[in-house]
Amino acid sequence: MTDIAGEARFMGAVTALTMHEMQNILAIIRESAGLMGDILKVNARVDFKHRPNMERTLEHITTHVERGKGLLEATSRLAHSPDDDMLDSCDLAVHARVVALLSERLVRLKGASVNFTPVPAPLPVAVGALRVLMIGYQSVQWAVGSGTKDGHVKVELEPGQDFHIMTVVPPQGVTPDAKALDCIRKLLDDGRLEWDGRMLRIFFPVRK
Amino acid sequence: MDMSTWNILLVDDEVEFITTLAERLELRGINARGTHDGESALKEVAVNEPQVIVLDVMMPGMKGLEVLQRVKEAHPKVQVVLLTGQGKTRDGIEGMQHGAFAYLMKPLDLEELIHTLKDALQSGRGNRHD
Repeated sequence: MTDIAGEARFMGAVTALTMHEMQNILAIIRESAGLMGDILKVNARVDFKHRPNMERTLEHITTHVERGKGLLEATSRLAHSPDDDMLDSCDLAVHARVVALLSERLVRLKGASVNFTPVPAPLPVAVGALRVLMIGYQSVQWAVGSGTKDGHVKVELEPGQDFHIMTVVPPQGVTPDAKALDCIRKLLDDGRLEWDGRMLRIFFPVRK
Repeated sequence: MDMSTWNILLVDDEVEFITTLAERLELRGINARGTHDGESALKEVAVNEPQVIVLDVMMPGMKGLEVLQRVKEAHPKVQVVLLTGQGKTRDGIEGMQHGAFAYLMKPLDLEELIHTLKDALQSGRGNRHD
């Protein structure tokens, strides 16, 4: 870790606690909406003027609680990334998903979306969680470039023997600046990255 | 499986959460009651032993994992389902090592909770991940 480890831990600890509160808030909203939905179902035969509006509103609440749940998990993972047991290694399968969740908003602002393909098994790498998140997030940011229309940034994983690989594919029609990769390359102490003009492959050493 | 015979104790310091969850379970014919801290949960278990406890890990006062350990010592047949935060699988795994039946993340999926309660009741004894 760098010399800002203490600050990162502090920010992580405070954020994690706040995320715990947010999770309780979402849980109450979800159960309350669920109970209203249950009551509407139990009284399905009772017709009233605004039933469709109410049902639609409950659907919106449920959809956005789910959306919030994803962001909550991702932010919570980010908050815990400076924890002691995450400093030198982490699960790339989990943290690549977190990268996809955290970068959704950024990518949407550029007119694109993130397509993440999960893998079923853990991919332990000898790189700390915070470093993996920085590398992944900056790679997605780099890949989306100055913007696109209806494009997709693909984030995929490839298990390997010595290296597990995260692949970031820029949207069609976007040509990111290869020189800008230098700052991401600097974050990879024992790993490396390759850009072939079509996809960026980031090699993370496997935790033995 | 007749859900009206289930006896479930919900433990969480978020009163609105536990009250609403209990009401939703009751609407499905499940007998569920709630307490809001670890100490009162232990008293409740001693007086009216539930079949399953749904227990929040992070509460003020006695923490969920301590409640779990004390319940398992005094009432080994009672199954415990832990509620953990999103992305905090570590707490869940630690709980499983101390005898929890399963762990679920908040906000809950009610159908998933009912499914887990059913599994816990059917398992009869111990931890399904032993």
